[in-house]
Amino acid sequence: MNLRHYVTTNMAAPMSSVDKTPAECLQLNSTSFQKKTRSKFISIPGTRPSVQNGQLLVSSGVTSLDYLLGGGLAVGTVLLIEEDRYDSFSRMIFKYFLAEGVVCRHELFVAAAQDDPDDILQELPAPILDDVAIHRPGDQPRMSCEPQDTLDAMKIAWRYQNLPKVQSALASSSRFGHYYDVSKIMEPEIRQAAKWHRFYHPEHPPPSSGTHSPKLESYSALLKSLQEVIQREGFDLNAPLPKSRNILRVGLHSLGSALWGDDLCCHDNPKNVHALTSFLYGLRALLRSSLSVAVVTVPSHLIQDRALMGSITRLCDNAIALESFKGSERETNPLYKDYHGLLHVRQVPRLNCLASQLPDHKDLAFKLKRKQFTIEMD
Amino acid sequence: MLSELLQGTDIGGFLLIQDSCTYCGRDLLKSFIEAALNREEVIHVVGFDVSEGELKDGLKSSVFQRLHFHNAFADPLGWTDNSPFTVHQFSSSGLTELLNQTAQSKPATLVIDSLSWILRHVSPTAVCHTLQQLKKGGAVRTIIGLLHEDMHSRGIVGSVCRLATSVITVAPRTKADEGLAKITRRSKSGKVVQDEQIFSIRKDLTVTVLSKPTNFGRKQSNTEEQVDPTANLTFNLRLTDAEREAKEKLALPFVFSTEKKTALLHSGPGSGKILYEPDANDDYDQEDPDDDLDV
Repeated sequence: MNLRHYVTTNMAAPMSSVDKTPAECLQLNSTSFQKKTRSKFISIPGTRPSVQNGQLLVSSGVTSLDYLLGGGLAVGTVLLIEEDRYDSFSRMIFKYFLAEGVVCRHELFVAAAQDDPDDILQELPAPILDDVAIHRPGDQPRMSCEPQDTLDAMKIAWRYQNLPKVQSALASSSRFGHYYDVSKIMEPEIRQAAKWHRFYHPEHPPPSSGTHSPKLESYSALLKSLQEVIQREGFDLNAPLPKSRNILRVGLHSLGSALWGDDLCCHDNPKNVHALTSFLYGLRALLRSSLSVAVVTVPSHLIQDRALMGSITRLCDNAIALESFKGSERETNPLYKDYHGLLHVRQVPRLNCLASQLPDHKDLAFKLKRKQFTIEMD
Repeated sequence: MLSELLQGTDIGGFLLIQDSCTYCGRDLLKSFIEAALNREEVIHVVGFDVSEGELKDGLKSSVFQRLHFHNAFADPLGWTDNSPFTVHQFSSSGLTELLNQTAQSKPATLVIDSLSWILRHVSPTAVCHTLQQLKKGGAVRTIIGLLHEDMHSRGIVGSVCRLATSVITVAPRTKADEGLAKITRRSKSGKVVQDEQIFSIRKDLTVTVLSKPTNFGRKQSNTEEQVDPTANLTFNLRLTDAEREAKEKLALPFVFSTEKKTALLHSGPGSGKILYEPDANDDYDQEDPDDDLDV
């Protein structure tokens, strides 16, 4: 069966695209279905179309999380990560997301208020790369002098000895989703090859005019800076796109915390109750009309108002919450002894379809091993 | 872990002592001050809660020239015209200026007694900003703060704890002179270590760490023993040593000599290598016999 999917526009997209007929819309619209023709599907390295609805997906850096989210993060959407108590695992996922961007040669935009974005980029985990087995002359003497069983030498399956255990190469960015070694830092050469933009909140002091707007100056400055980067670097879908397209990965760390100037976490009735929600609305509108993906982390355990947390969740497309066992009584529960915490999927997106793809299992727990962040059924 | 924290090797860190009305953390704070003075550090104390005399009580008087007390107890809100330190001076610029007034060769340790007082008069976001800027700037070596957690909502306490590199929460024990300290320490790599220790503070403000509380060790005693799958079977699955040796000596079929193995593994550069990547048309399902029918 050859289904034909037509282009639809999302309600949050800017008004200019509503007038266009489907035929006039750009071939690669991040919110549209893809017409199933054989012709020119322009591929961007590090992305692949979804098997369910043809959306363009990028990997989040954690392959188990990609599986949970229906194959990956759709381009033009926001992933909300509710932080765990000490921000250790959410920060890890944040770094995986950025590291995946570096490996796939996407551009990065990192914004933070607590740590300098340079420091965050210095801490990215090293990708596990293994060159495909090449015949090195140095190998042969090693083989002949070690006939006994070493860890590498296999007794029965010895024909597979020389094949690498993990097959991937940096050059082939057609691979979707990589593995990272948490104990090692990404090498500076790989990191410096990536193009990235930063927004460090202390560097943008608020203007002294005290206007009573529902938006906070920190969030408006961030949104303006992001919009400027999108337009300048050619990620905007409304403008004519450059020949070679790329994806912009936006990482926003700890939005809503006190260091952004927001008192959501501090008071039960915050003064700026609409600041973060209007920022997220503007962010999503910006992303829908550009080739970018955003990951936002929010310290939800400090936000007392559950209704506010609910509206923040609804304003993002994907939402997961991490609950780490450290310091809670669950740490001693024998049921959880293999895991580091629980993962709750709060929301999955409904992009251009009526029903979303729900994960089969609701009890998920995660475990951070050295080489993999696994999410398993509990 | 408490003794490590007392040694103060954390540069650029923020140590937070959280207490409540059931157990006062000021004695522990004074022990930290005492330990730092003994290490020949310069200490600046910003005191809101108690007066200078009360804070210095118990500290050895010989080291007072390195301890600078900024009296915020007398008039913190600036009701008189000449107040030595007001709560509005608690900003990173105000504090850096204050620290630079006393000429010093090395960065000082800043002790804040207490943060709760400041949080009731200055907005929490401003306090967090100040603490973050002090941590990053070079004027201060470490910050030690006292926070009364029952005076604030969970959100404010949580926001301040997020900034801290180490948090010590003190609670009372049944014996009057002992206290329970729950310590959470965040290393630079993001690893979080937690510990619980019973301590007592002597008259000369040295801290003795007593044993761990018993309920913390409950976790270890509950671990199940590894179940041995080869036990309780009607047949024998175990191997004796002699049997293991015989098993390893057994010649497997298709085992070649090492020369032939290496020759097969490292075939020369002329051998062909087939690289095949299945493309979109190539979707074969082994179970479907009709796959090649063109219906």
